[in-house]
Amino acid sequence: MSADESRASAPLSYDEWASALEDGELLGQRCTACGHETAAPKAACGRCGSRGLETVSLPTKGVVYSETTIAVAPAGFDGGSYRVAVIDLGEARVLARLEGDAGIGDSVEFVGSLEGREEPAPLFA
Amino acid sequence: MTDARVVGIGMTEFGVHDRPLPELFADAAFEAFDDAGVEGVDIDAFYLGNAMGGQTERDTHLAPTLATHVGIAGVPCQRYEDACATSSNAFKHAVRAVEAGDHDVVLVGGVERCTPTTGLDTPEMTSIFASAAHRQYEQPTGLTFPGVFGLLTTRHMHEYGTTEEELAAVAVKNHRHGTLNPRAQFGKEITVEDVLEGPVVASPFRLMDCCPFSDGAAAVVVTNDEIAGTLDGDPVGVAGIGHATDVIPLADKADLTATQSARDAASQAYEAAGTGPDDLDVVEVHDCFTGAEVLAIEALDLVEDGEGGRAAVEGLTALEGRIPVNPSGGLKAKGHPIGATGVAQLVELTEQLRGDAGDRQVEGAERALAHNLGGDAATTVVTILEGAT
Ligand SMILES: [Zn+2]
Repeated sequence: MSADESRASAPLSYDEWASALEDGELLGQRCTACGHETAAPKAACGRCGSRGLETVSLPTKGVVYSETTIAVAPAGFDGGSYRVAVIDLGEARVLARLEGDAGIGDSVEFVGSLEGREEPAPLFA
Repeated sequence: MTDARVVGIGMTEFGVHDRPLPELFADAAFEAFDDAGVEGVDIDAFYLGNAMGGQTERDTHLAPTLATHVGIAGVPCQRYEDACATSSNAFKHAVRAVEAGDHDVVLVGGVERCTPTTGLDTPEMTSIFASAAHRQYEQPTGLTFPGVFGLLTTRHMHEYGTTEEELAAVAVKNHRHGTLNPRAQFGKEITVEDVLEGPVVASPFRLMDCCPFSDGAAAVVVTNDEIAGTLDGDPVGVAGIGHATDVIPLADKADLTATQSARDAASQAYEAAGTGPDDLDVVEVHDCFTGAEVLAIEALDLVEDGEGGRAAVEGLTALEGRIPVNPSGGLKAKGHPIGATGVAQLVELTEQLRGDAGDRQVEGAERALAHNLGGDAATTVVTILEGAT
């Protein structure tokens, strides 16, 4: 693929990622050079540096890769304990809020965006 | 190219200091000047570490402010920000400038105030610490820094069977070391039961798995080997520095338990110093959380991958063990004023190499390593120091 083709369109922006998330779709990027996938859009591939990135719709089913229950929250995150997890989606991993008691290795599903926040975060259950 | 030497060291006690940053920093800087046998007029440049002053103190452009306060106005000043690896990055650049002959005698220091007593409350400070996580793809989840290391450590427990009791043993060891350090924030021994009975901060970490919020300052004077020979301060050699980064956000890391930047920085430092993990006598690692020490000693190749959890339980990393880790008490007991931590590790190791560490002296220490990590291990600086032989 020529540089022109791979850079034909602007890379997925945060605004596009955030509005899709609010509409119930988890977008990501796939590197056309090395195949690396991410749920955190960038201007170039985090693994190989290539600017050849295509926007992909990420799988809605995944497996918990790691998790933590946060009891001492930052300012603006009132409401006691909540769980944050790294979810393995196959090629990509995503940091998300996790509802329920799934542990590492358990299957979980993308259920939308964390409610009541100005800035969206993926929610899995 | 010339070799760099640490010729003067100073640091405040870590804990609560209810006075402005310049006054706090001056105590550490003048202690380092006096130890080296230099005056402000001898200093050619200033390298400052301060991570969060803009957010916590509404105070920026700090390097020339602090330089003026300690009587070295006019010299080139620079401030570094790399989360918790802030002042070891300042130190690295100071060393490079001395090695290159750009400067002859430089002041390197770090200062930060993080305690609720002197500044912001716990939720606000937790939020400021969380600002080292990715602004768009991590912060909106409510991830905190205990949570970041909670994710790394939970995965380590899953892969290797590391237990909460093993994590607690790291806190017990470092608290015991801290009782021997008059500058440590915590001076009391604790038990594994004390740790396990504490409230959860971010699982698997309970309160005593976490380092405290601290105020404090640390400083060193760095010069070349020629000038070092003419000064009063007992010189310690800078044998090698490694500095590496890893991807942000953490979900994109190839391996959550590797802390890859620490492995890369350690390889660079070992190679530069012509040495390896078996040749080290004493080590200070970045134990912001008990799990961070477990990951660090594996990344530095002090133990095999997966065996980090057992090291503290088995006494391997205790003061009298095979490889003493965090004789100062570490961040856990000594305290962690973010921008001061990297230089404070070098202050401790310089004392160890000089044989000046008192009750926590590692007998005959000749080669020492500091591991200073920033953010979710996206930055690590590893420094190897050697005593004069
Ligand atoms: Zn790539």
